[in-house]
Amino acid sequence: MKAVLFFCLYLVLFSSSFYLYKSNYSDPTVEDAGRLLPAQVKAIKQADGEEVLRDIVQQNRHVTIAGMQHSQGGHTYYPGAVMIDMKPFNNIVDFQPEKKVITVQAGATWDDIQQHINPYGLAVKVMQSQNIFTVGGSLSVNVHGRDIRHESLIDTVQSFRLLKPDGSIVRVSRTENKDLFPYVIGGYGLFGVILDVTISLTDDELYQKYTKELDYKEYSRYFQSEVKENPAVKMHLARISVAPSSFLRDMYVTDYVSAADQEKLEEYRMLKGEGVVALPKLFLGLSRYSNWGKDAFWAIQKEYMLEEDGAYESRNNVMRSETDFMAYESGSRTEVLQEYFVPVDEFTAFIDDLREVLQKEDDFNLLNITIRYVGKSDQAVLSYAKEDMFALVLLLNQGRSEEDVEKSRDVIREMIDVALKHRGSYYLPYYSFPSQEQFQEAYPHADTFFRKKQQVDPDERFINYFYEEYGK
Amino acid sequence: MTYRQFVISQSIIFMAGSMIFPFYVLLLRNVGDSYSQFGWAYGLFALTSALAYPLIGKWADRSGDRTLLLVYSLAMAILLLLFPLVTSVWQVYVLQVMMGVLGAVQKNTEKAALARRAEKKQAGTEMGRYHFWTSIAAAAAIIATGYLVDFLTIATIFYAASLLYAVSGLIIWKNRIEK
Repeated sequence: MKAVLFFCLYLVLFSSSFYLYKSNYSDPTVEDAGRLLPAQVKAIKQADGEEVLRDIVQQNRHVTIAGMQHSQGGHTYYPGAVMIDMKPFNNIVDFQPEKKVITVQAGATWDDIQQHINPYGLAVKVMQSQNIFTVGGSLSVNVHGRDIRHESLIDTVQSFRLLKPDGSIVRVSRTENKDLFPYVIGGYGLFGVILDVTISLTDDELYQKYTKELDYKEYSRYFQSEVKENPAVKMHLARISVAPSSFLRDMYVTDYVSAADQEKLEEYRMLKGEGVVALPKLFLGLSRYSNWGKDAFWAIQKEYMLEEDGAYESRNNVMRSETDFMAYESGSRTEVLQEYFVPVDEFTAFIDDLREVLQKEDDFNLLNITIRYVGKSDQAVLSYAKEDMFALVLLLNQGRSEEDVEKSRDVIREMIDVALKHRGSYYLPYYSFPSQEQFQEAYPHADTFFRKKQQVDPDERFINYFYEEYGK
Repeated sequence: MTYRQFVISQSIIFMAGSMIFPFYVLLLRNVGDSYSQFGWAYGLFALTSALAYPLIGKWADRSGDRTLLLVYSLAMAILLLLFPLVTSVWQVYVLQVMMGVLGAVQKNTEKAALARRAEKKQAGTEMGRYHFWTSIAAAAAIIATGYLVDFLTIATIFYAASLLYAVSGLIIWKNRIEK
């Protein structure tokens, strides 16, 4: 009798637990690489083919599109919306090596493309320095990279197919449905789902990398005369010190120069994997916690690059640099990125002002600044390169609490003011630290962008935190 | 309760236990995620177990192993119903403390029951056989659960494990009454 009673009680408890779970807790929680905006979405749906995608778009009130989710301001999800995981949608649709073009589904990563085209001696023109991202995600944020001879990603796109909010599919290029072209690329997923894209490729090439130390005051001149005007230099990157003893003064620059002896390419062609990351990981780890660590990290980074002076590397391998050592796991803290663009001739003045802002901020944990170059590229409506720009990527370590986010926000807004003062702008895939006014100033065509969004998607089927923050 | 029934009920308990433990980390990842929190969660479990052992030992001698195993199974069945509803780390800690006490009940009683039963001479063989069957059950459960998590959610595992504990409780209870 007791047993029967107990099991009745158990059944009641079981059903109530299940009911509570179903009604309150079963929605999946997602967050992006910034880890500052966890949210419960309605469901995560896999992109298993075009028909499935069309159904998802037509049958749901709100939809968001996710690739690797390395944007950091909730661009890929929204509370209560269905999140489409594009990663399974990753086939190579068409590849014509003789014409140097490839068509891939949007969930394919740069690595997928590299694996496919490397045997044919071809390489991507513009992508991030790392190859882990999906092509669709990269288009939606209109990336740029180490290459200095092609501007940003939009400049290498021939056409793409777009699944629009009403479920129709159109081809978009500079001639076909051309009004959509500059909105969807750099459109942060607000105009529809990019299904597949055709991009133009270039030849894989053997580079020699040369690294030298510089004072920041020499950098603009050095870049103009030694890099930009030397056609043999194909890629370029630089770092400026965040170590206390040389803060925002010491730099080193690395130029990838077309090797005289291209026959050697064969030897260096094999795609590299991730190397052993223990050492850089250790030093990055130390630099998170101490000024001493920051000095040590800077010294060892520079030493390593200088030692590699003259080393050979294929273009494809330069475009698959390591990421594993940056992985960071902490419950209470996270690592976020910022990217500022400043005209080449404003660099010295910008750095001086930036130093003034940051020297007051003792708690601001700045771990790294990488500098690359992006040529004027104003095709995208939300274009960041209004003229020839240096792009500075800042890696920051910060707490996840509301208070920590506010602290970061204050410093970041000051830094953005400095960038804007020097005719610069900032990159949009990151957390919504910037104010609405700063957004408007950096992106003078923002109103046009959101008007077009209203016109293409009047029901606001495609939505995300970025749209909520700046578009409404 | 016969020895056979004891082994069956214990095997089911081991199955349920091994379903949860490896995948439990996934729940922690969803709730809060730093290695120090994993450390605390498991540390609290071990610590409460330690403190509970002496008391449970005495209790087992007074009330009998079967009663304690029954209490353990039924309490676990109910406790697991709370896991899918966890949303913050402190709740995990509270559950770990309760699991710690119950874990001590199970371990102590299982060993006491075996010790009371085993013939001194063949104790080794008998323990070997006992652990063979219970570990087989555990291994099967871990592998199967891996697939289960792929297709279902972590919550499903907790509900399934809860049901297994309830079944194991039922077996013990039924046999206690029959006796």
